[in-house]
Amino acid sequence: MTTLALSEPRKSSHLLRNIGFVALPLVILLWSLTDLTLGRELVTWFPYLASGFMMNVVISLCAMTLGTSVGAVFGILELAPYRLVRYPVVAYVQVFRNAPHLVLIFATTYIFPFEIVVAGNYLPFPDWLKAVIGLAIPASAYVAEITRGAILSIPTTQWEAAKGLGFSRSQALRWIILPQCLRRSLPPWMNILASITMGTSLASLVGVHELLHAATDASTSVRRLDFTIIAYIVVMAAFFTLCYPISRLTRRLERRFNAA
Amino acid sequence: MQDTSMTSLFVDLTNRLGLNYEFLATGYEAQIWRDGFITTLYLIALLIPVSLIAGLLFAACLTSGRLWLSAPVRAFVEVTRNTPTLVQLMFSFLVLNTFVSNLVGGAQNNPLTPFFWVVAVVGLHIAALHAEAIRAGIEAVPSATVEAARGTGFSKLQILRYVEVPLAFRASLPAIVNNLINLVKLTTVGNAIAVSEITYASIMVWTQRDNVVSLMIVILLFFSLINLAVARIGLWVERKLAVPGYGL
Repeated sequence: MTTLALSEPRKSSHLLRNIGFVALPLVILLWSLTDLTLGRELVTWFPYLASGFMMNVVISLCAMTLGTSVGAVFGILELAPYRLVRYPVVAYVQVFRNAPHLVLIFATTYIFPFEIVVAGNYLPFPDWLKAVIGLAIPASAYVAEITRGAILSIPTTQWEAAKGLGFSRSQALRWIILPQCLRRSLPPWMNILASITMGTSLASLVGVHELLHAATDASTSVRRLDFTIIAYIVVMAAFFTLCYPISRLTRRLERRFNAA
Repeated sequence: MQDTSMTSLFVDLTNRLGLNYEFLATGYEAQIWRDGFITTLYLIALLIPVSLIAGLLFAACLTSGRLWLSAPVRAFVEVTRNTPTLVQLMFSFLVLNTFVSNLVGGAQNNPLTPFFWVVAVVGLHIAALHAEAIRAGIEAVPSATVEAARGTGFSKLQILRYVEVPLAFRASLPAIVNNLINLVKLTTVGNAIAVSEITYASIMVWTQRDNVVSLMIVILLFFSLINLAVARIGLWVERKLAVPGYGL
């Protein structure tokens, strides 16, 4: 809770937050209404921008799905009792957790081939798929850290109790430890989701047709300063409407889990 | 003489491993590449104090209890946290920079370089994250401690200066170190507006020589090392500033 929210009555603080939420779309709407030629340009380009934004959402969802499934496995492997398994995974997590997203997107884009041969068929390997992998790598490293932390935060007595009940290590992990981890790791997982979603804009630098790329395209072909401004405000508003609810929900969940 | 033979030995050895570092032996490309490393290090060294000072100011505004101070900063923090840094950078560079150019009468008079915009945008972005961490820290200072300070006769500013900020800073240190690691990673967005930091310099090299893998290994190691150093220094500071009996 902010001091602001504490000192103000609850209703007006809600209003203030919601003003923050509608301010950007409102600016866009009012501006395009006062200058109708600008509004018309915006309406013309809107489908193009929307198709770009769809790409952001698709990349983000694919990267998170891939990153979460790989990361959860790696998090468990980080605690494996065998050094031969543990050390490479720990090294992977350390390197890719500290690597800039942009560098990883560059790496996957330039290192992977542009088509792959599967059973004699040439399958295209588009740039957006490479961006998905580029973002899934850091996502998997973060998820691995979260999973490891969550597993370690479960009291050891639970492991012992599970053992006492006749569960094997993997059974205890599957039926007792991991379900409890799920709740603890949800808020940090959502933080990663927001940061990966914002990271999708980096794919514009390797030529993926996403929102930022679409906005740059639109502003170079319209060549009007006010259109450029409004196009970038649209980009900001789009990302904000996607990420702000996630971060609000994260904070609420964090507070609830802390209280519990 | 010693230096060149070391380089050629390195190039030779890595060549046997299938990695291509031949550009190191040339003067021009190697120079660009080394400058890229130095630019990145310089950016980081500049951004850390900038972000910390701005973050402290934002946090002071957020906790001031005055609506006209806290509301704009709150709005700024929320927008910065929930939009991509790259979009902010492009917006600043393409829009604000054009405004400044128009104001001073032409781009040739504009004193603001791409480098400046990277420092401003990334610095303020991380400052917003710092501000949230420090604000949480200030709010976590026990009210009894503040009461005691007030009872001792401290003024409101003195309480902030001697009691709240030191304790809050200590409490928010782990989050701040985390933000600084983010900062190190964010310096790469400068690439988008042609600041010749390490990724930009590397693109220069690999478009000529097609040795992406070799350069990527070095870049990944470079960032791992810097972030390891940041994390270690952070841990050292945390230990130095440990508050006995405070659970920190």
